[in-house]
Amino acid sequence: MLEIKNLTKRYGKFTALNNLNLHINPGEIFGFVGPNGAGKTTAMKIIAGLLTCDTGEVYVDGIGVKANPQEIKKKIGYMPDFFGVYDNLKAIEYMEFFASIYGIEGKEARDISLRLIDLVDLTDHADSYVDSLSRGMKQRLCLARSLIHNPELLILDEPASGLDPRARYEMKEIIKKLHEQGKTIVISSHILPELAQMCTNIGIIENGKMAVTGTVEEILAAKGSMGPLVMRIGENLELAVRILKEDPRAKNISILENSISAIYLGDEKEQANLLSAIVSQGVKVCCFGRESNSLESLFLQITGQEDREGGSSK
Amino acid sequence: MMTGRKVNQILRLNPIYKKELKTGVRTFKTSLILLGYNGLLALFGLFAFYLTFEYGSRYGGRVNYSDILQIYAIIAATEFGLVLFTVPALTSGSISGEREKQTLEILLTTGLKPIKILRGKLASSISMMILLAFSSLPIMGLVFSIGGITLSDLGAFMLLVIVIAIFLGSIGIFFSTLFKRTTAATVATYGTLLILVVGTFILIWAAVMLDEIKFSTVNVNGIYQPPNVGNLLLVLLINPAITCYALIEAQIGTGSNFISFLRNFGTLSPFIEQHWFIISIMIMLGLSVILMWWAAKLLDPLKERKHKK
Ligand SMILES: Nc1ncnc2c1ncn2[C@@H]1O[C@H](COP(=O)(O)OP(=O)(O)O)[C@@H](O)[C@H]1O
Ligand SMILES: [Mg+2]
Repeated sequence: MLEIKNLTKRYGKFTALNNLNLHINPGEIFGFVGPNGAGKTTAMKIIAGLLTCDTGEVYVDGIGVKANPQEIKKKIGYMPDFFGVYDNLKAIEYMEFFASIYGIEGKEARDISLRLIDLVDLTDHADSYVDSLSRGMKQRLCLARSLIHNPELLILDEPASGLDPRARYEMKEIIKKLHEQGKTIVISSHILPELAQMCTNIGIIENGKMAVTGTVEEILAAKGSMGPLVMRIGENLELAVRILKEDPRAKNISILENSISAIYLGDEKEQANLLSAIVSQGVKVCCFGRESNSLESLFLQITGQEDREGGSSK
Repeated sequence: MMTGRKVNQILRLNPIYKKELKTGVRTFKTSLILLGYNGLLALFGLFAFYLTFEYGSRYGGRVNYSDILQIYAIIAATEFGLVLFTVPALTSGSISGEREKQTLEILLTTGLKPIKILRGKLASSISMMILLAFSSLPIMGLVFSIGGITLSDLGAFMLLVIVIAIFLGSIGIFFSTLFKRTTAATVATYGTLLILVVGTFILIWAAVMLDEIKFSTVNVNGIYQPPNVGNLLLVLLINPAITCYALIEAQIGTGSNFISFLRNFGTLSPFIEQHWFIISIMIMLGLSVILMWWAAKLLDPLKERKHKK
């Protein structure tokens, strides 16, 4: 459905996308994750035909975006990260305006618009002026708008950003519905756990490169042993922390009551050595092991960065 | 043979145009422009009537009905001046405004061709001008009812208004596409208007001065040579005010005043002198096409471009 080959994009001297490769099959919900500034928006704009790239090519259904941008635009529904709406236009008129751009007029336009407004749960607001809608409603209206020409591929750039938890939930439900209808969806976020629940596949992008791609399970299996190391200490907590701090493989050490949690970049043998070192110095260890399934720490490891947004919705 | 779909496509209104009209009639700005425009026009019209009738009859004893043509000239010139000032305001925010409101990107992903977006914007501001022109018909009609001006005169004047609206509108849209900010686009558009109306004239005037200095030193045998800046005079063809003058002068007089006005600065081929109006609007329309085409190139995201801040 979507194939990205060796995509490179420079802004002046700064390389935003560095030989990016990506393959998305029909029917997938692909979570495009990466910290802010990783290049998600840049990649999505290139797919949507809003930016030129320096090298590489994007194919949608086998059609190249450079060769035939008009054809591709018919197949894509794009929702930008930041967008505005028109004043003096009602939600239904907003939809009908975009319908008319695609050559859909009259009753057909009204029917499609009403159906999509219903899909995004805005029926009660069809006659409201768009600039009076809440942020979440605008996002949903924009999503409905991106569906007006019945595209096969949806490119959604951080559709949940800036929304409250309730609005996020509603947005997710709509995206799930669209997935059930057979749409291929690419959705970006800087928060991995938020996407993991609904995406069939995930790709983590960092500094303009894909770090990993695969299903959530695949990624966890490959990197699963790297979950954070958690130990509960009966006695001598400070000593245990000191020993851990001396180990160069331990990062992001945090303490909560009598538990220590850290990202530990060592294999099982080194882990065993660490345990025996701690125990032999007289620390009473109640519990020691890797926590699995922590997407957040996985994300932190892969991107090697603090999640500045602090967006843990786990 | 044309398919039904094609016919449909041709008949269909430009979606941008349709939307602009719909939102246009809802904005307070539109009613404000209408009110200000007709208010000013009525004020000038009444003033002209007052001068002719009241003043004329009080001091001259009788009304000179050829003065009514002067009233027409004053009202037409006022309307023309208002068009000059309104069109840049209507168009210089057309694209930069969408950029600022972050609605442009979505529009560009719909596959709507940039030129179509621009045409819709231009058409909507021209419609506004036509609306203004029509709304001022009662005031123009006052003159018409008294006589001296024919329907075709009014038609030619309307044509001038529309062509000037297209010309200035294209300039406004061009700058609105070139600059990211509406303020910059507005300044550039009014600046260009100033250059067209005043700048071209100053250029000619400066050339005349140079010409006279040259002749006063070279020509010693005492025969007066009128200055002649030659083909430089052609730049006045893109001066909307001069062309408006050419039209109105031909309507209320014979057109000879206009030609003698030109002769103050130089001589052109008689063909151009006599067909000034039509040649001028042709050139303006040609320039409009070029500006729109250029703006469309600037708007296309897949063509490399550099934006001015
Ligand atoms: N127009 C631009 N000019 C210069 N640098 C840019 C521009 N747009 C984005 N960048 C830079 O490119 C990088 C990637 O940006 P972006 O694609 O928006 O990242 P993301 O969407 O993943 O947060 C960022 O470092 C950003 O500063
Ligand atoms: Mg982004």
